Amino acid sequence: MMLISKSITAFGSLLLAHACYSAREHSTLQSFRAATSAALTSTPAAATSLPIDIAIETVVAILVILVGLVLGTSSLRPIQWREWAGKIEREGEDGFKDNNGEVNRDYMGNPFDFIEGRPNFVDIRKQRREFTEWVKSQGEQQK
Amino acid sequence: MAQVPVQTIHRDPQLFYWILFPITIVMILTGILRHYATVLMSSAPKPLDLRSTREQRSLLHGISLRSNFHTLSPRSFHTRRDTIITAYESGAYLKDPERKGQPPANPMTDPSSMDGMMGMMKNQMAMIIPNTLIMSWINAFFSGYVIMKLPFPLTIKFKSMLQAGVGTKDMDPRWMSSISWYFLCMFGLQSVFNFLLGNDNAASQMAQQMGQMGPQAPQMFGPGADPNKQFLTEAENLAVIEHHSVLDGVEQRLLEGIRV
Amino acid sequence: MPSQQELDLQISPLVQESLVHNSRTLHNLQSLTASLFGVGAGILGLESYSGFFFYLLFSLVTTLLVYALRIAPTSISSSPSAATAAKGGVLSRYFRSPFDFWTAGLTNGLAGFILTWTLFYGLVRA
Repeated sequence: MMLISKSITAFGSLLLAHACYSAREHSTLQSFRAATSAALTSTPAAATSLPIDIAIETVVAILVILVGLVLGTSSLRPIQWREWAGKIEREGEDGFKDNNGEVNRDYMGNPFDFIEGRPNFVDIRKQRREFTEWVKSQGEQQK
Repeated sequence: MAQVPVQTIHRDPQLFYWILFPITIVMILTGILRHYATVLMSSAPKPLDLRSTREQRSLLHGISLRSNFHTLSPRSFHTRRDTIITAYESGAYLKDPERKGQPPANPMTDPSSMDGMMGMMKNQMAMIIPNTLIMSWINAFFSGYVIMKLPFPLTIKFKSMLQAGVGTKDMDPRWMSSISWYFLCMFGLQSVFNFLLGNDNAASQMAQQMGQMGPQAPQMFGPGADPNKQFLTEAENLAVIEHHSVLDGVEQRLLEGIRV
Repeated sequence: MPSQQELDLQISPLVQESLVHNSRTLHNLQSLTASLFGVGAGILGLESYSGFFFYLLFSLVTTLLVYALRIAPTSISSSPSAATAAKGGVLSRYFRSPFDFWTAGLTNGLAGFILTWTLFYGLVRA
């Protein structure tokens, strides 16, 4: 996604730079021609506007860059608490990464974590089993 | 109606290279410098001692109880409210309870509040010094040049602002001098800084000035605030709450939500 | 008793951080694109009203693109419940009021637009 948006933006910038250069060349040429024609025939040269192809190129370039930039924005987040919490529950940290793949600063962790950690919900037998296995593995390592 | 002929002025293209680009580049670089200077100069807030922390946190406790009372059951809300109000009114959480009725100390003599003042001073300096320097630099080197034409017409009122130092009477106010390009840069470079430095940058002075001009939020724990008075106000606010719970009538809502 | 609006807010609270994040994302995009429109208007050599119309038009196109590319596709993947859909469509998932979403961009980038417009206008027709 990032690569697509970057390349679209780069392509659009290239188009825009070319349009800018063409417009600049066109206006210099125009003023040069106006100066010479005024010197030769002494008729005021009409100020001609930009050729249509440059105008089209500019507009197309802007639209292309626009699409690239919009694709590159970081994804929006739901503002309803329940949707937001559900998103965290489903996706975890993945839903809160910015474009560089880093977890955003204001990601505060799963709001439902406290439910898992409540003392009423602790599975004491499971923890004891894990503890005995840990002790066993330690003992085997020391042998 | 006679058509006013469009004024054209032949300008040296070198004007762009030697006036326009230097001003723009200097403005951008100053913004970046200001951002990093602010980042470097900002000092970490000093840790408070135990009693003043207790004072602030207990006030925050009351405020969060007031704004979140609807998640509590009536009984637990009333218990909390009674405890907090009693403590507030007797001044149990105050930093030094014996100084209860006295006016607050002068913030200028209190050494703990000097830090905040210094921080503000530093910010102000970081804004004012570069601005004055650049202004005088532009005035000294570039005053009196006409460099650009605005793409939209303006009334004659803007002439004295845009063409400061040019002093030509009949010129269209659309022509602008270097100092007005400086002003335009000052207002418009915010988006460039946004792009370069991320969103919460300190580069643009405009955003800071906007923040100062906006409605001043009353400083909670700033120097000069009387904690006892704050406690009493908060106690009064708590006392008038008419309690209701979000769970009131939840059965009705649930039944309405179910579609058969 | 609390008003209906307060009660709604208490029953289904909003996440403040997400609100800030969304509006900031939109703001960043708009201030960046406003400079871009300035470049375009300068190249085309637009003057006075037509330039501002250009800006208006393209800001609307930006918001439309955001709506079409970033907001609308998410509604299909996570079918919104009947209640939210009835209240304000997909937009209410991410923004508080649709009015803010459609019009906030116009003032955000105006200064940047004028800056680059003037610059490129001057550069192209030197």
